[in-house]
Amino acid sequence: MFSEEVVINDLLSRVQKPARYLGNEWNSCLKDHSSVSAKMVFAFPDLYEVGMSNQGLKILYHSVNLHDDLLMERVFAPASDMENLLRENKLPLFALESKKPLSVFDVIGFSLQYELSYTNVLNMLDLAGLPLYSDNRSMDYPLVIGGGPCAYNPEPLAPFFDLFILGEAEEILPELLSELGRLKKTVSSKKDLLLQLSTCKGVYVPSFYQPLYKQGMLTEIKKLETQAPDAVKKCFIALLDEAPYPTSPVVPYIQAVHDRAVVELFRGCARGCRFCQAGYIFRPVRKRSMDRILQLSESLIQGTGYDEISLSSLSSTDYPSIDELVKEMDKVLSPGRVKCSLPSLRLDSYSVELADTLHHGKRSSLTFAPEAATERLRKVIRKNISEEEIFSALGDAVDAGWQGFKLYFMIGLPTETNDDVEAILTLCQKIRHSFKRRARGSIAISVSVSTFIPKAHTPFQWEPQLELSIVKERQEILRSGFNNMRGVDYSWHDSQASYLEAVFARGDRRLSLALEKAVQAGCRFDGWSEHFSFQRWQQAFNQANLKMEDYAYRRFEYQDCLPWDHLDCLTEKEVFIEEHKKAIGHNRDQESNK
Amino acid sequence: MSRIRFTFTRDILLAYISHLDMLRLFIRALRRSNLPLEYSQGYSPHPRFTLALPLPLGVTAGQEFGEVYFSETIEPGFFIEKLAFQLPKGLELTNAFLVSTEAPSIAALVRAASYRAKLKETSPDDGKISYIKESLEKLLSKEEIVMKRTNKKKKIVSTNVRPFIKKAEICYEKITGLELMLELEAGSQGGISPVFFLEQLQGEAPAEMPGLHEWQIHREKLIFTDNPLSASD
Repeated sequence: MFSEEVVINDLLSRVQKPARYLGNEWNSCLKDHSSVSAKMVFAFPDLYEVGMSNQGLKILYHSVNLHDDLLMERVFAPASDMENLLRENKLPLFALESKKPLSVFDVIGFSLQYELSYTNVLNMLDLAGLPLYSDNRSMDYPLVIGGGPCAYNPEPLAPFFDLFILGEAEEILPELLSELGRLKKTVSSKKDLLLQLSTCKGVYVPSFYQPLYKQGMLTEIKKLETQAPDAVKKCFIALLDEAPYPTSPVVPYIQAVHDRAVVELFRGCARGCRFCQAGYIFRPVRKRSMDRILQLSESLIQGTGYDEISLSSLSSTDYPSIDELVKEMDKVLSPGRVKCSLPSLRLDSYSVELADTLHHGKRSSLTFAPEAATERLRKVIRKNISEEEIFSALGDAVDAGWQGFKLYFMIGLPTETNDDVEAILTLCQKIRHSFKRRARGSIAISVSVSTFIPKAHTPFQWEPQLELSIVKERQEILRSGFNNMRGVDYSWHDSQASYLEAVFARGDRRLSLALEKAVQAGCRFDGWSEHFSFQRWQQAFNQANLKMEDYAYRRFEYQDCLPWDHLDCLTEKEVFIEEHKKAIGHNRDQESNK
Repeated sequence: MSRIRFTFTRDILLAYISHLDMLRLFIRALRRSNLPLEYSQGYSPHPRFTLALPLPLGVTAGQEFGEVYFSETIEPGFFIEKLAFQLPKGLELTNAFLVSTEAPSIAALVRAASYRAKLKETSPDDGKISYIKESLEKLLSKEEIVMKRTNKKKKIVSTNVRPFIKKAEICYEKITGLELMLELEAGSQGGISPVFFLEQLQGEAPAEMPGLHEWQIHREKLIFTDNPLSASD
């Protein structure tokens, strides 16, 4: 096997954005491979600029490299120009730090952030020279592991992976790697190795569980090894203040999607929006202390040289003493030289006030996510804000001088009708009219509409996705409506890409075949509209003898066996059922009122 | 307030970083160094920092110039010590000196730059060597070499760049391979990039001569209208 360093200099002059492949960035960590007991490469199945914005990567890179006897390097999905060069020159995919091929590592760990990156995962394994299927890889190959939100239903990827980690890995990953280093010296078969590892917290070894089907329906997930847990429980950090957090993350040379320092205020979200997977899998809410946040922020700016710091979380204005924190931040970060930003604003007056204190200088636009335009539908999804609150918040923003709003909506939510969709138009029209006089200039609204995708481990996990043809109809209602509305910029998500995402989000193990066929047919970067080809995917599903609609449109019953039933996010199924009933109940209440 | 001019080298490790990325890299390094940066006025103040002449992608350099303002007087030795510690492998500070805050900007002083361009193929055959020689002669005998580019208003502008070629000599030795020594005008009064020059030189190279477009370019030094040190305090 190829184990020399890959010489890339001659390739660099022939690709776009060569800085994606350089490594050697500030704070990157290059260790001697012979000095450690276990070597892992963190693989992000998307472009460098996307992956380098991922907070999970920064946290895990830090928490593993803290240990002298462990090392972690990075690799990202090569863009097609680099992929072609690698294939033409018969060069393997390499890690950025050492330029060594992926095959020399003990572990290749994929970050599974979104379903549409799955083809990149397989393509990267292929570029690394690894057999795709776990069964076909002996102990001489690296272990292929995965984590991140998609690991909560990784079934479509199951045959390709040796194990998944469920939950937050910053504490257990270093332990797992050390354990692996020890076991590799003593254990003789890969199965024994996996058996030992399957007893670690949060570890799911898919080959130890076998899904059984009757007449095409999943009926049972049979555990094959007694040692393996009946249900794999997610792992999570108990005390955020004590968890490792990177204050010297790698600073990219080229602009990443999020090119700033990030400090995490708290993990989890108490809001409980029913469509939101993050809201459930990151439970419970754990807060970082203000002292720790301030201390981390100061070190982050010192360690990176960034001029912006983002106060991140799923709903940052919910931080208990956020206004005090913002004031203290200003003192710590020499005012005017470091900007502070809040990424996830709630649509209320309090948040607008906060945004205003943070903002020195020109007020361009504020972003909010009402998600649905009628109060009825917002109750269904448990995004509990009233129209009155929306208007009072926007009014405050207008008075403070903000001139533009970015609004996020979803279509295809459970119980949605055409009326709910038309209400998006009405709401935007009303916003424009109400604030016309109050604003100094006219108000620019940009509306972005995505398609609802039911996800595992949410109260809507039993719900089907809205049929593609109706999604298109509703997008058309919006397109033609906004066409006649001045000052509103409308954008929408590709309905076919959202459909495919829905197929995989609640998919089972049989989908792995379609995935393999899709990669063979050339599918890559499916989340990028310029690469996405629905036609190729249709062919792949035909070859695999599977139907996309069986997955996307499937309505599960409460008693049905779900493909992720053996994976425990620590919220009981009863809670999801109750929440689901309440959601649908809101709809019924409304109808009986009519 | 004080102003420091400094020189640095860039090796192959950092050759594939764009000009804007280089600026960002230096500014972040300066911020980490805790030196007292002087900021511009206005809505979004930024550190007063410039590089004399953008380095094209893939080009290494032996003596580049940059300058930066500080809110108080900084000793050049202290500056080098502090900043060098914050620079990644591939960039090396070689000198620094104080200049008058009144002196013109370093970018305005640039007149030309000298380059060495080396054919990546280490032992080209005689056919290739004579092709390059002939092509160079032909190119230099032209009175007009037209470069087209789109300007800020998205209009295509044609410029005759022949006058900007000050020197172009070929040099071949068995050990070092095929190398070109160039002196090309650059800066605000117009210029020609070494990348464009080499494209013209390669011209329509015959198919049986692959690899003639692959050069490793090294910028040896910048040439100024005035001694960049003459305005020293």
